[in-house]
Amino acid sequence: MTDMKPMLAIAALLALTASPAITASAQLNMNAPAKGKTYVTYAAEPQTVAANKQAMLELRFQIASGYHVNSHTPKSDFLIPTAVTLQPTAGVKAGVPQYPHGVPYSFSFDPGTKLDVYAGSFTVKLPVVAGSGEHTLEGALKYQACDNASCYPPRTVPIKVLFKAK
Amino acid sequence: MLRRAFLLLIMIGGIGLVVWSGVQNLHHRRLEAQRRADQAVIVRTPEPDPSASPLLGKPAPDFTLVDLKGKKVSLKDFKGHPLLLNFWGTYCDPCKIEMPWLEEFQKKYSSQGFEVVGVTYDAEVGRDKIAASTRQLGVTYPILLSDSDAEKAYLSDSEVLPMSFYVDRSGKIVQVTAGLGGKDQLEAMVKKTIAAND
Repeated sequence: MTDMKPMLAIAALLALTASPAITASAQLNMNAPAKGKTYVTYAAEPQTVAANKQAMLELRFQIASGYHVNSHTPKSDFLIPTAVTLQPTAGVKAGVPQYPHGVPYSFSFDPGTKLDVYAGSFTVKLPVVAGSGEHTLEGALKYQACDNASCYPPRTVPIKVLFKAK
Repeated sequence: MLRRAFLLLIMIGGIGLVVWSGVQNLHHRRLEAQRRADQAVIVRTPEPDPSASPLLGKPAPDFTLVDLKGKKVSLKDFKGHPLLLNFWGTYCDPCKIEMPWLEEFQKKYSSQGFEVVGVTYDAEVGRDKIAASTRQLGVTYPILLSDSDAEKAYLSDSEVLPMSFYVDRSGKIVQVTAGLGGKDQLEAMVKKTIAAND
């Protein structure tokens, strides 16, 4: 006769482990997002493009967890759009920055108002025609951040785009 | 053979039960997380945190600011009145949720001397746009344009909007809140401010 005890023990153990998982549904550790003074950071990465030809640079930005910023086309005149400005640079002809589409967002206390925001990360594309060599484009990103119950005054983050045209 | 099949069935059933309970647990946790997130939006600062602002318990810093018509308004103009000094911005949707409440409280408690003053933290926005925003909200209490001195005095430690300072009749800051709170909690703080040093 086969010894059933180990198998019975395993079956009992499985049954016992199931019940706490059912009842412990409220034991959730809600870590509040970290609140710092910088809500958007610029991830500068050297890029290479073809010289003397229309090319596209990518400006990557990271938004702190728990925050969002208005897209470039917010749905109200009172809201401050996210926007890149760049200084003229010799040897580089920069076009109009191309912004990504935002995602819809509503504060839970005002579900009827739809906002158009960036959250997580977003990339702004910049068309350029650059002569051969290394170039640095300098400028700034202006944005205005909120979390789920507060907003923060508009900020700017400096941008330095290093790239090589060859 | 039959016994083995029966034990196998029990084991499969046990595994199935664990998987099902895990799915249920995850579902309950997500619902709970959503419930807490929803509550957290309205009940952001249920009780003033005494350590949140260095101004708590101190005399409200004096200011002289300009209203939307260009008239100068000072803190001393409100001497002897319980006052709610509310920093906000035209870009701040949470601020715009509570401003109609503040208008309501201003009217409800005006007979007890209570006053509300809004200070807009809008460096680049013109008066016309600020006035349009306050009109949209139905706000009639004074709106002042912030300056660097007032910002340094009141917002040096935090730039969270909305930010409110509750000043009692003696001129002491008795409550400070940051972020959108619940309407009932706001009203409770208004009542406490009126009652303080009465």
